[in-house]
Amino acid sequence: MPVFKTPFNGYSVKFSPFYEQRLAVATSQNFGILGNGRLHVIDLSPAGPIAEIAAFDTADGVYDVSWSESHDSLLIAAVADGSVKLYDLSLPPTSNPVRSLSEHTRETHSVDYNSVRRDSFISSSWDDTIKLWTIDRPTSVRTFKEHAYCVYSAAWNPRHADVFASASGDCTARIWDVREPGSNMILPAHEFEILSCDWNKYDDAVIATSSVDKSIKVWDVRNYRVPVAVLNGHGYAVRKVKFSPHRGSVIVSCSYDMSVCMWDYMVEDSLIGRYDHHTEFAVGVDMSVLVEGLLASTGWDELVYVWQHGTDPKAP
Amino acid sequence: MAMRDLVTGGAACAVPGSSSSSNPLGALANALIGSSSQKERLQEIPTSALNSSGNNLYAGGVDPLSALPGSELEHPLHQQNKGSEFINGFHAANDNRLAEVWDGIQNPQIPHFPPGQPQLQPELNGPPQRVLSSFLHSFVNSSHGGVPFGPTQLPVLGLSEGDKRCIRDRSSIMARHIFADRSEDFINGQVNALLSSLEIDNQGMARGPMPGRYPELEQYWGESQAMPPRPHGADGWADEFAQHRAGQGDPNAWALSFERQHGTGGWASEFEHEQSQMASVGQMAGPNIPSLAAMEQTRMLAHTLAQNNNPKFQNSKFLQFVSKMSRGELTIEDNQVKPASADWANEYQQQYNAGPSSWADQFAHEQVSRAPERWADDFANERVHHGPVDEQWVNEFSKLEVNDWADEFGRQVGEGILGDDSADNWASAYDEYLNEQAVLKEKSDSSRGVYVFSDLNPYVGHPEPLKEGQELFRKGLLSEAVLALEAEVLKNPDNAEGWRLLGVAHAENDDDQQAIASMMRAHEADPTNLEVLLALGVSHTNELEQQAALKYLYSWLRNHPMYGKIAPPELSDSLYYADVARTFNEAAQMSPEDADVHIVLGVLYNLSREYDKAIESFQTALKLKPRDYSLWNKLGATQANSVQSADAIYAYQHALDLKPNYVRAWANMGISYANQGMYEDSIRYYVRALAMNPKADNAWQYLRISLSCASRNDMMEACDSRNLDVLQKEFPL
Repeated sequence: MPVFKTPFNGYSVKFSPFYEQRLAVATSQNFGILGNGRLHVIDLSPAGPIAEIAAFDTADGVYDVSWSESHDSLLIAAVADGSVKLYDLSLPPTSNPVRSLSEHTRETHSVDYNSVRRDSFISSSWDDTIKLWTIDRPTSVRTFKEHAYCVYSAAWNPRHADVFASASGDCTARIWDVREPGSNMILPAHEFEILSCDWNKYDDAVIATSSVDKSIKVWDVRNYRVPVAVLNGHGYAVRKVKFSPHRGSVIVSCSYDMSVCMWDYMVEDSLIGRYDHHTEFAVGVDMSVLVEGLLASTGWDELVYVWQHGTDPKAP
Repeated sequence: MAMRDLVTGGAACAVPGSSSSSNPLGALANALIGSSSQKERLQEIPTSALNSSGNNLYAGGVDPLSALPGSELEHPLHQQNKGSEFINGFHAANDNRLAEVWDGIQNPQIPHFPPGQPQLQPELNGPPQRVLSSFLHSFVNSSHGGVPFGPTQLPVLGLSEGDKRCIRDRSSIMARHIFADRSEDFINGQVNALLSSLEIDNQGMARGPMPGRYPELEQYWGESQAMPPRPHGADGWADEFAQHRAGQGDPNAWALSFERQHGTGGWASEFEHEQSQMASVGQMAGPNIPSLAAMEQTRMLAHTLAQNNNPKFQNSKFLQFVSKMSRGELTIEDNQVKPASADWANEYQQQYNAGPSSWADQFAHEQVSRAPERWADDFANERVHHGPVDEQWVNEFSKLEVNDWADEFGRQVGEGILGDDSADNWASAYDEYLNEQAVLKEKSDSSRGVYVFSDLNPYVGHPEPLKEGQELFRKGLLSEAVLALEAEVLKNPDNAEGWRLLGVAHAENDDDQQAIASMMRAHEADPTNLEVLLALGVSHTNELEQQAALKYLYSWLRNHPMYGKIAPPELSDSLYYADVARTFNEAAQMSPEDADVHIVLGVLYNLSREYDKAIESFQTALKLKPRDYSLWNKLGATQANSVQSADAIYAYQHALDLKPNYVRAWANMGISYANQGMYEDSIRYYVRALAMNPKADNAWQYLRISLSCASRNDMMEACDSRNLDVLQKEFPL
């Protein structure tokens, strides 16, 4: 399957919700510690190599990217300088970014576009806050400040327009409703920093969290005392966790152990696939909504892989 | 070793601070080569020699950032803003340059350098961004093998304050993810090495670790139960392992992972890690033992290499990079990376025999050492950290009038002047280390079930040593009881009860190594003794050796007069946790009044980390046997594992009320206090435990950590010299 080489270290990869062949890739120079960043938009083609549709440079690393759910050409990027930038592929490079929203006081680490209420998105930052934005406003709608440490990830509930979850270095995950003043639920999900969280796409009460403790835990927010499942198998911190858009119990994850793992948390031998194609930390992974089983991953080896589950990502 | 990460983690500093302004922007000083003095280099002569040739670093052509769309200007590109040289530099590199540069670093023959020093003055005079990029690369990648990241002298890179802030903040946050299973000290060490090399003020780490919610990690378990069997080194890896598996619930995955862990480095190398952790605590303690700390860094290096034999990691760009950095052409051949503890001394011996002048060469061939350059880097790091910059280790060395360090080393070895109490004397630290290693090796051999008898035992020849031993044990005179019981088993080597009681006495005296050896002998003498089987089951649970633990616990059931019939013999061949647990539950239903069954269940639940159930089982057992002090201790340890340190202290207190001389419970008490951050309190308990049994090595190490965490460096010497009088006076309970 196709491979794309990025000049900088990969940080995040996302399939377009509109075009099955299109992906966005967030990259940062020097592992995001210092230097520039670049946002790539690439197209797979059945025969030839991956084609780069667009590339946007930033003055600091790009840590995350999210496609708009309302416009096929709109992208949001989380930039290490604390800004959130909007890019429009339909506009010439000189007009991009169409907006640069600088409110976070520290690195913005994640962005997520609301798939239900399609004019809003959230960003999470190392300044311990999460911010709610809408496409048409120059400033954030709300700031959620409760976490006691960096918020590494925030993800909208796929069913409820107002509900999202956040994962923080304060070892908690929190569930929020943007209509409420504070968080609805505090989930002391791990004993180490929590790096990522995602909602089950078929059960709106189930979330997964991944942590520096190398585990992934699946939780039912209606009964959060014990995890529904604990998935062990990664050898280092689990950097990103993502539920399958096609199968309710399937999760994909990537880790500093350089591997991408596929899990089914409902079955006994949960680990159903393991891919060791990256040669440095694997930090970004996504599953296509439009093509079942299509996976993409990126890592600090500056490579983006796209492959079908069950096949060898490195196979030509 | 339990809780080392925990405790040290608590000591980490998390105060945001401002970066220093010592480094003028935009200056690329020519790296100093040859005889240029340290001072000159440190002056950071500002020059305008920045290279701005337009070659793009990345083939494929990327527009320089200066060509970015104007809409970006409201949020100006920061590098550009703060120094256009920085941007240009990114495009000015020659790809081959890096390799040359790093090779250059390695060349130990650079004239004029005091021996051992060259790696401290790399000829990193390429374009600054290329240098920086590689440097950051080496930092990030140093996680793969958990290799300590040595500081490197870099040319002035012209980093702006903003750049420095980014590097400082981001590297510290990322390091906590990447090096998650290392101690806080290790992480800080890595970050500090990075920052000091870049001359970034690391006074205030922007974001320390998350405060609070530091759980009592699993590693605690290895220490807190009745009888961890192996020498203290073994606890190290068990703890380490436990930490790896924190939150683990699936016994099968656990077993697999254990095998992996067990198969690679083995516990001996883990011990090294352990030792180095200890020392890095010491290293934080103050500048008085820098060279020792430097040695410890080397040990950690050896350990981590021994531990991680994942070929993928070893083939990663990173390791190649580091190996280039450390000695040129060395590549790691994954299976030849040996557990360092056993081999180090031998290697050393060879080197010594070959003559001191070839020391460096010998070292270069030894994976364990990972080359002297690294070592010296670390040493230099220490110096940098512990003194004003202009007082670097080179100067230190010249104070010692050392012109040729290899010769000096040889001379010192030859004359045996290694005991010099000068803290700067790294050679003595090295020597001490070798001795320690030799001792450790002996210990580890003996730990394999070989019981070591005391010399000069007054009870030998006693008419009834067993009776005397039982009496002494009952009175709580554990060390005396041990002697009497030794006399007994010398007299009657097949007396299972003698061996068993000896094992219990050692366990309560916090001497795991002897305890397990005794229990093994007891088991040999009487393979069906229920108490022995239970004790061995507990020991292996402490060691997280699930299969062995299941074996002994199941044997317990098989040999039990009441439950033997519900335990099908065919199960013994392939024990699965679920089957064993089920059988025990049946047994518990058969006779709910049998405290022993509940105790075993509690142990089993610890094995599967179902601590709530384990606590419940122990509490049930305690209702039946409220005066069983070891049961209270088990309860406490389990509670501590499930992050209930306050409850644990209550349980330990119960155990101590019942048996005031229960050394292990005193030490466990200390651990629980330390886990709650109450280091002063923990010190008092450790001291009390040690007053009762000064041979409890683990407790000495915990004490050291707590002293360090409580900033009681003044007492460190008393601790190191094991001066209990001073300690007891200072920390009365």
